[in-house]
Amino acid sequence: MKKCNSKVQIDDYLFNRLDEDKKEEFEKHYFNCPSCFKKMAERNELIAIVKSKGQTIFKDEYIAEAAKGETWLEKITSFLTPRQWALSTVSAALLLVAIFYVIPNLKTTTPQFYINEDAFTVRTANNKITLISPIIDMKTVQSKFEWVKLERENVEYKVYIYDNGDMLWSKITKENFVVLPEHVKLRMTAGEKYSWQVKAFSPEGTIISISGEVRFKIQKSE
Amino acid sequence: MEKNKKEINLEEIHTKYRPIVSFRVRKSLGSFTPDWEDVVDEIIINVIEKIKKGEFRGESSIGTFIFTITSRRIIDHIRKKSKVLKHAPEPVAFPDPHLQIENKERAELMAEAIRKLKPKYREVLYLYYYKELSREEVAQKLGITSRRVSERVNYSQKLLKKLITK
Repeated sequence: MKKCNSKVQIDDYLFNRLDEDKKEEFEKHYFNCPSCFKKMAERNELIAIVKSKGQTIFKDEYIAEAAKGETWLEKITSFLTPRQWALSTVSAALLLVAIFYVIPNLKTTTPQFYINEDAFTVRTANNKITLISPIIDMKTVQSKFEWVKLERENVEYKVYIYDNGDMLWSKITKENFVVLPEHVKLRMTAGEKYSWQVKAFSPEGTIISISGEVRFKIQKSE
Repeated sequence: MEKNKKEINLEEIHTKYRPIVSFRVRKSLGSFTPDWEDVVDEIIINVIEKIKKGEFRGESSIGTFIFTITSRRIIDHIRKKSKVLKHAPEPVAFPDPHLQIENKERAELMAEAIRKLKPKYREVLYLYYYKELSREEVAQKLGITSRRVSERVNYSQKLLKKLITK
């Protein structure tokens, strides 16, 4: 079978990661390329099974990840000598002093809250997360929750959906949107109040910015 | 040009293009949309009618001709739904949960086959598809190149095919 360069786009297409032009180009391509279509259908099946049965398929990987966490802790504890332990205790104490006494007295930029017609924003320092949609009540549960991407690179966003204050679902992504899985949508009922929020993290895992928590309601059909 | 036109076989529209049209429609509308099969039927009928009327002049390939009709029909469907829903239907969650229940036996076989893969293949599937890390992130995590990640994914798929057709 002829080797086709478009095959590299299959995963991105299936995960909705292609922009509109590339998506259309790839769709046009697979209408003309039986080899790519066959490969994509197979890949689609594989991903669907991995996602739906992953918890049972990858038990070993879960365990390995948990074990990695333990050895990491063990490594740290065994790595330091008593002298290094003493030094790190002093450093930690100094850090605590800085956190509780010095930083609160520094002039800091307070978050600015503002609402405009189509967005809701909280700003912290030079970063802001602007929620685009949804920001109003909706007639049916919409799948796509979208915000404005921060200008800096390698940001991980954690999206939270709350049901009357209790967390209903969350997901980490590098994109500026998430698509709600069907099982989450099914748990969202008309007449109930929900809210959502996005937090941004640096590659080191420190929080960079938090969006406002936007509330919305799914309207009861008349 | 003319070659494109002469090759049209109406039977082939059904056998070859129906699965492709179905895939595209389900990807855009979601198989939880109750009438997605009706949309596919309408597209196929529309394509055949247009060919019979001589509207396919061979200026593009038949694949592109069907792609255009499919895209237009999907847009029409979304427009009609948008009027009712007030919001356009959103991109379909992936994987489509309705797709998974179609062939439970095969899914079980595949899951079992994945469990039997060597850890180096299984961990790539775990990180790349289950945890949805990028190719580069998986490569970094496993200390291999991105190219090797793709190779392992492709090789896993070949192994799985072998395992379930045994």
